[in-house]
Amino acid sequence: MTGIRLENVTKRFKTVVAVDDVSVEVADGEFLVILGASGSGKSTILRIIAGLEVQTSGHVFIGDMMVDDYEPRDRNIAMVFQSYALYPHLSVFDNIAFGLKVRHVERDEIDRRVNESARQLGISEVLKRRPSELSGGQRQRVALARAIVRQPEAFLLDEPLSNLDARIRSSARIELKRIHQQLKQTFVFVTHDQSEAMTLGDRLAIVDHGKLLQYDTPQQVLSHPLNRYVASFVGSPEMVFLEGNVEAAGTAFTFVEGPVRIPVRGVGKPGPVTIGLRPWDIAVGRSARDGGLPATVTGIERFGSSDQVFLDLQGPPGSLPARGGSAVAIRAMVRAYDFNVGDAVWVGFDPDRALFFDAEGERLESMSLLNRLP
Amino acid sequence: MRTRRGRRWIRLAKRVASHVVLILACLFALFPIYFIAVTSFSALPIASITAHVLLPNPSLLTTASYNAILFHQSPSFLSLLENSLIFAGSSAAIGLALAAFTGFALSKFNFPGRRAFVYFILLISLFPSVLLVIPFYFMFANLGLIDTYLGLIIPYSAGAVVFSGILVKNYMDSIPDDIEEAALVDGMSRTQAFFRVLIPLCYPVLGLAAFLAFIGPYTDYALAHVFITSSDKWTLALGIYTLNSSDTGSMPYGLVTAFAIVMSLPIVVAYIVFQRYIVGGLTLGAVRG
Amino acid sequence: MADLRDQKLAVRLRREWPAYVYLLPVSAVLLLLNAYPIAYTIYISMTDFGTGGRGSLLSYHYIGLSNYLDTFTTGSSTFVTLVGNSFFWAGGCVALFLLVGLGLASVLNQPIRGKSIYRTLILLPWAFPAFITILVWANMWGYQFGIVNAMLATVGVAPVNWVLSTPDAAWAALFITNVWLSFPFYTVVFLATMQAIPKDLYEAAAIDGAGSFSQFLRITLPYLRPTIVFVGLMGFLFTFNNFYPIYLITNGGPGISTQIFITESYNDAFGAHGATPLYSIAAMYSVLDFLIIIALTVVVIWQTDLTRNWLK
Repeated sequence: MTGIRLENVTKRFKTVVAVDDVSVEVADGEFLVILGASGSGKSTILRIIAGLEVQTSGHVFIGDMMVDDYEPRDRNIAMVFQSYALYPHLSVFDNIAFGLKVRHVERDEIDRRVNESARQLGISEVLKRRPSELSGGQRQRVALARAIVRQPEAFLLDEPLSNLDARIRSSARIELKRIHQQLKQTFVFVTHDQSEAMTLGDRLAIVDHGKLLQYDTPQQVLSHPLNRYVASFVGSPEMVFLEGNVEAAGTAFTFVEGPVRIPVRGVGKPGPVTIGLRPWDIAVGRSARDGGLPATVTGIERFGSSDQVFLDLQGPPGSLPARGGSAVAIRAMVRAYDFNVGDAVWVGFDPDRALFFDAEGERLESMSLLNRLP
Repeated sequence: MRTRRGRRWIRLAKRVASHVVLILACLFALFPIYFIAVTSFSALPIASITAHVLLPNPSLLTTASYNAILFHQSPSFLSLLENSLIFAGSSAAIGLALAAFTGFALSKFNFPGRRAFVYFILLISLFPSVLLVIPFYFMFANLGLIDTYLGLIIPYSAGAVVFSGILVKNYMDSIPDDIEEAALVDGMSRTQAFFRVLIPLCYPVLGLAAFLAFIGPYTDYALAHVFITSSDKWTLALGIYTLNSSDTGSMPYGLVTAFAIVMSLPIVVAYIVFQRYIVGGLTLGAVRG
Repeated sequence: MADLRDQKLAVRLRREWPAYVYLLPVSAVLLLLNAYPIAYTIYISMTDFGTGGRGSLLSYHYIGLSNYLDTFTTGSSTFVTLVGNSFFWAGGCVALFLLVGLGLASVLNQPIRGKSIYRTLILLPWAFPAFITILVWANMWGYQFGIVNAMLATVGVAPVNWVLSTPDAAWAALFITNVWLSFPFYTVVFLATMQAIPKDLYEAAAIDGAGSFSQFLRITLPYLRPTIVFVGLMGFLFTFNNFYPIYLITNGGPGISTQIFITESYNDAFGAHGATPLYSIAAMYSVLDFLIIIALTVVVIWQTDLTRNWLK
């Protein structure tokens, strides 16, 4: 049995395509995170699942049932809004109980379920208060309780953690994961925060301009991004990109950007290519044994246990030192080091982790760095 | 270059002048109220009224005028009050419901023809409502509804509908959409969401709309004058107008003002209750505009 | 809900149809009690219904626009007077409202003691229904027994027949009464807007050397401009058709020097003094009034772009 399925869902607003032929299959009990920037269409997808928007074409299935023609209230889903959307004129208890009252659940049953959810979320003491008297974190938990108490087939969450203070956000995140494991229900979670997505999701659906770019586990997305957008969006600190051209000299191919020259292999033909590397996969040291590319340290940002080093890559030994605009700037994360700003150092790339992208941003699977550097 | 000392004098003079201006403004605003109050508690012949108003003689204060108004006139004050309340109350109830429905439909739905509809009702509301008396008279005469309760309540209900509907619409615009959506996801139909979630959130503006819908018919003379012919249906407005235009030379001064005070009482009380919303709502609209 | 304007008509109808049900009662009311009477008025204005002479209540004929033509030609002095009076009444009142409102709001905007007391006192008259207070004012302007004349007498001024002697006196009485009715509203609105102006603008100006009057011109007024325009225009439209002050105090007199469209129309139809009701003429004046108001409103909305973001 599947939890939720989207089949070729498209949503068009006059000329703008908000959702472009998206197909996703969420397993029962899975935690799916839809990740994207503002305006990418991620919230629209969620609202289509909820029934608050009607898709232009395509089908939505909840628990094997096609729900295209069903109103939100008949889809047996619960939703947590970004603003929580609590009823201001009702007490917390009545807020949580509302959905049950509307469905004419018995009074005793309502009391039991509401109190149980409140206990689960630690808000039993505030049941009599109004939403306006609660803190942001408490309101978020009331919104969750309201959803849980309905015992729906799936939970839809629209950036529910975005309005919380940074401090509370990580504990709220952990709590949400815990609830998911307890309930074993299908969760669809929308966010623009990639670290949130990485920690919470069983699988990620990355969208940009309405298109589904990659649908995979977090680890896969991190290590094998299908295109440059995904690679740059996911992972912290952000990926380093070198944008240049591959030139051919006989059978040897070299990646060229500015003064930097890196031998590569497995190339089809010469042309523009982007190399992507995570700062963690870049080694920096004083001796040539640490790496094959000379560079100058232009800055160091201290983060505590590890620091981010800003470097300008130079050309091969013997060429003129590059300065300012013509230099190729990169970042590396290092733990222990003995150099300072302004020093000449050597940089090495981990060839197993280097990613190559063509001019359109698609992965070039066949390319790789020629040498182990060192 | 003004010296510090010189500036202090100027500031003092400005402050004094400000207070003077404000006191004059208050006197201007309050004088008629004071006039009404004092004369209503008097029953003097006309000639001596000025001296009395300017320098009230406590020994001459009496409730004789109130007595006369409340208990000794025909049609009786009670009858006038009753009729006014029937007309204004019924019209207010109907007008409030209409305003609530209209505001809801205009605010939370985006239906084809919405723009045209709004322009249409705004256009219609530009016609001077007092002059609708003329066609109303013939329309209702043909239906035999002149001099009936129903016949006057119907046109009264339509009075404030457009303005109140717009007020409700503006207020509902400020209620975030996701509260309604949460209600839908929670299992309500749009109608249920309207009555159980949106309306309770709109009590302030609904109170204002009810107030406006009440005060129009309560103080209407133009329509009532034409529609009501039998004295048992006379309203307070008709009563006070007749009293005012009758020969005041021989009557003790103060009857009209006593009448005015008693007639105003419900409105003043309602105003004090709703004051926050009325003043707030109006200034909010004006500042935004 | 999200921007549905761009979706296909059928989809929108399917989702939004309850709106039509909610609007049904209002639409019925407006059609029957607003649209139809207006149409009916227009129709009557083109007949000779009730104008004694040719037509009477029982038999009347369609005469096209001859009522209008008559007014513009032979009765044109009446028409011109009415137009002039209506505009003078509305324009003069609004000018006074704005002046008094701005002035008082400026005074109140200073840090002075008892500000809220003053404000409450000034707003107090507003609690009383306008109809009643206008009646009382009409009383006060009385020639023989009115309190205004009586008070003037105590300072040695001869009694003035406000209502029946000269147009100047009549207009004075009307303007003063209307200012009394409305100035609290304008004062409060302007005060609220003024209080929203950040104080450091004034401090910066003071450092730059601007005196208080100059500060008013360069800071306060520009900030207030949208509000002034809005309430000014609304006030103009409202006063143009404000029936009760003129009807109850001067009833258009002396002669028709203070008569405006709306009072002329009402009197033609239901005039006292046993005159024959001139329903078609009254209807005509209603229509003319309506057309003028529409023209003014269109210009206002066009010029100030009032409804720009109002409908999603």
